[in-house]
Amino acid sequence: MSAAPRHVVIAGRDAALWLTAAAIQRALAPAGVTVTALELPSALTPASTYVSLPAIEALHVRLGIDEAALLRDTRGSFTLGHNVAGPGAAPFFLAHGSYGAPIDGQGFFPFWVKARRFGLGAALEDFSPTAMAARQGRMLLPDAATEVFGRTDYGYHLPGIAYAGVLKTRAARLGVTLHQTHGVAVERDGDTIRALVADGERIGGDLFVDAGAGFHDDADREDWGDGFVTDRVLIARTAPFSSIPAYTELRAGPNGWLSLQASQAATHVAYAFVSTEQDDAAALAVAGALAGLPLGDAMVQVVSPGRDPRPWHGNTIAIGEAACTFDPLFGLDLHAIQLGIVHLLSLFPAGPDFAAERDEYNRIVASSFDRLREFQSTFYALNQFGASEFWANAREAAVPPEVAHKIATFRARGDIAPMEDETFAPDLWQALFAGLGEMPESWPPAIDRTPPERMKEDFRRILGFIKDKVLEQPTHDAYLATLCRSEAA
Amino acid sequence: MNQSSDTSDPRYRIVIIGGGTAGWMTAAGLARQLSSRDYAITLIESDEIGTVGVGEATLPHIKLFNDMLGLDEAEFMRATRATFKLGIEFRDWDRPGDRYIHPFGAFGEPWGGVEFQHHWLRAKAAGCDVPPFAACSYAVVAAAADKFELPNEDPKSIRSTYSYAYHFDAGLYANFLRAWATARGVKRIEGQVETIDRDGESGALTAVTLKSGMHIAGDLFVDCTGFRSLLLAGQFGVGWEDWTHWLPCDRAFAVPCAHGGGFTPYTRSTAREAGWQWRIPLQHRIGNGYIFSSNFIAEDDARDALLGRLDGEALGEPRLLRFQPGRRETSWVGNCIGIGLASGFLEPLESTSIYLIQAAVSDLVNLMPAPHSKGRSPDPRLAEEFNRLSTMQYERVRDFLILHYVANRREGEPLWDYLRAMPLPDALVHKLALFRGRAKAPDYQFGLFSRDSWLSVLLGQGIVPDRHDPMADTFDLARIAERIGDFRDRIAGGVAAMPTHAEFVADYCAMPGGIAA
Repeated sequence: MSAAPRHVVIAGRDAALWLTAAAIQRALAPAGVTVTALELPSALTPASTYVSLPAIEALHVRLGIDEAALLRDTRGSFTLGHNVAGPGAAPFFLAHGSYGAPIDGQGFFPFWVKARRFGLGAALEDFSPTAMAARQGRMLLPDAATEVFGRTDYGYHLPGIAYAGVLKTRAARLGVTLHQTHGVAVERDGDTIRALVADGERIGGDLFVDAGAGFHDDADREDWGDGFVTDRVLIARTAPFSSIPAYTELRAGPNGWLSLQASQAATHVAYAFVSTEQDDAAALAVAGALAGLPLGDAMVQVVSPGRDPRPWHGNTIAIGEAACTFDPLFGLDLHAIQLGIVHLLSLFPAGPDFAAERDEYNRIVASSFDRLREFQSTFYALNQFGASEFWANAREAAVPPEVAHKIATFRARGDIAPMEDETFAPDLWQALFAGLGEMPESWPPAIDRTPPERMKEDFRRILGFIKDKVLEQPTHDAYLATLCRSEAA
Repeated sequence: MNQSSDTSDPRYRIVIIGGGTAGWMTAAGLARQLSSRDYAITLIESDEIGTVGVGEATLPHIKLFNDMLGLDEAEFMRATRATFKLGIEFRDWDRPGDRYIHPFGAFGEPWGGVEFQHHWLRAKAAGCDVPPFAACSYAVVAAAADKFELPNEDPKSIRSTYSYAYHFDAGLYANFLRAWATARGVKRIEGQVETIDRDGESGALTAVTLKSGMHIAGDLFVDCTGFRSLLLAGQFGVGWEDWTHWLPCDRAFAVPCAHGGGFTPYTRSTAREAGWQWRIPLQHRIGNGYIFSSNFIAEDDARDALLGRLDGEALGEPRLLRFQPGRRETSWVGNCIGIGLASGFLEPLESTSIYLIQAAVSDLVNLMPAPHSKGRSPDPRLAEEFNRLSTMQYERVRDFLILHYVANRREGEPLWDYLRAMPLPDALVHKLALFRGRAKAPDYQFGLFSRDSWLSVLLGQGIVPDRHDPMADTFDLARIAERIGDFRDRIAGGVAAMPTHAEFVADYCAMPGGIAA
């Protein structure tokens, strides 16, 4: 190759394939880049969903995907965060929005810690407009007042097959060349791939993206198995709820956990368990009992968390599960795909020699993925969901040194040790710790200068603001109905 | 024994050893942010021990510190003979005759999600008539014209695209903070530490005894004793991580001189045969220094070279400072925290000394042991986080400093030849490759320096990227060239209307008797 890469060949399936293809095409076609997508048979089932984080909205906007049309076409829903419920502890909410607002120029959280020490009953989530709206079945639409208060974001529950269809249509409209194939063979020259052969047809290119096709060389893959106990996830679905919660429900069971993602199309569940403790049939029975719903379209998938330290190798870039397989907790797969795409776009080779771009990509993607893994790992390590083998093993699983340090710093002071490339805001981390029953042993003494009356007054002000603001909001059901109807008209 | 009343103080007692900039910034920062009901702050200093005080130039962060204290800017500037600083001019660093300014401000603005330098590089490569990169920074253009005024807070204004710092007399700044802090409850004790008491079991520091016989007990001790590091090194034997192989300068002569050569709103750093010379304009005089490597020039020759290159008459004899660049392996051990030179030294090439003090004070406030933990050793988990943050701060600054040296083209001068050839920290090698390959400048969230700072030095040192982000090629070239030209014009128009730096200082914050320029 003597010039900058011009032709990108992406082989894979479903959201990873179509999001990558559409994003590269949209961003770089005007610079002369062409994109060919080789579509392998879908791995999605009618029960599959994608759970998004707030960041996906920006990527959708770049691709020209309209939110109302997306929710109408996929019959998806909004999610304001996760409600976590389990035995032995009060449920808690991990919101896509701020917890509290600054008091006397200082961050909210330490004031809450101090007030709790002195008998405050209100939970941390009571100070989050997003969490409170979710609890009342409402949306939280940003306005000038909420923007002064803090972040108010949301993600989506997107039925998988429909979402992949929307993305595929979008990719095609943007000008991606499409091929369907049953498999791909690779034509290599050392570390460099020259072409992919799809059902007998040779497709040459300069850069090759493995978005689930499996040709990426992952010999150096780091196994995260000793950090996560789950090795199976069962996905299934049932009829939609008559009223659709605007959040993801995460229920800890005796030997696993269940995630409920309600959409307009169906109520989707994912149940994570350990195959040596439950066989697939037992898992289905437990999942049904935990959900309290009759489940159908069930399928069990193997879970094997791990990360490739060099997702970009030679002229091949692995995106999504080909680069990193996450534990299913909190449904981070779509976000991992997005991180891979965003960094690839910002480091898309400018010339024929792209070793520096490759090194930077591998560095920053690894760092970003590690931060996500640390969030999951912290949840498992600090769980108090009982003495069962599953939860006991989760508590005892190995944690990376960053998790040990974050836990230590939080316990000592309530701070989240700042690290580069975090996806989750410090107050979400604090909500995770507090929700799991961790209370810091001290707070920054600088807040002791604020008179208790001022603190109490601000607490009342914040709670009053939230109460009023939540009451102004439409219900999730009404909002979805309006949004989908107006766009269809 | 002459007992200080501190022994019976029920509050959590913080004892700062050493005045100077580090000691008094620590005292003032803690006094402002901790409740005096819970904490008793004592600072011990001796008039017989000089302070280093070469850190007369600052970074914009200092304004946050002063604002946190609630200082009146004009009053503080009058008291410290301060002037404004829009950046640093580097002369002869790439090749003799070259110059560039590292500004406190942005270059251009991103368009369509693509950083400015890519648009600029692309337009230039395409043969468009684009202004120099430096003409796209308000701070650079204003600095080069010796102009100054306070930035506009309206983010839509071109005059909001820069910030500023100060040049001041660090000794007067310490005095100013001393008056501020002692008026707010910090107890100052004059004297020299003679003996240090430690708990036989835990090893914790318990008290110091002064030559006068005064005994001062404490719960937490802050070592602001400079290079001596009386506590961290002297008591705990904490080692020093030596960075001389990357930053070979190990001596400096410092001397003030009378005004001359321009009342510049910027610091000047001029590369010399065996190091570099600083020039820091204050209201009444200019601070100068020659920082050099003793391996490449004899001390006397360095002294003479400095005296021969001043803009005005030398005011006193040059003072020699000896140091070793690097940092203490740990800054917080047990109940002792080192701040300032006791915890590390990096040459003042980017005016980072005071910033590093400020960052440490801020971290110490956040991680300060709770008052009810009095009588127990501080939670080691707090120390661990403090040390992690401190390591990050120092290493990031270090790599940025090294950058100035590696990309020089001063061929045939032994120091500079060595610098071009020396092995670099891996992270810096990677950053350089990424910039050369595609004009991507480092961009991280924590610590110094910002992307624009990296850009200014990378380009200033003559590192020309081979290529730019291909995303820039998706924009209409003529339109981009026009926007760059417009941006340059908006800056030029704004700067033309500004007062000169001398006029602004004379009007805003002149010292008693007026400025000397």
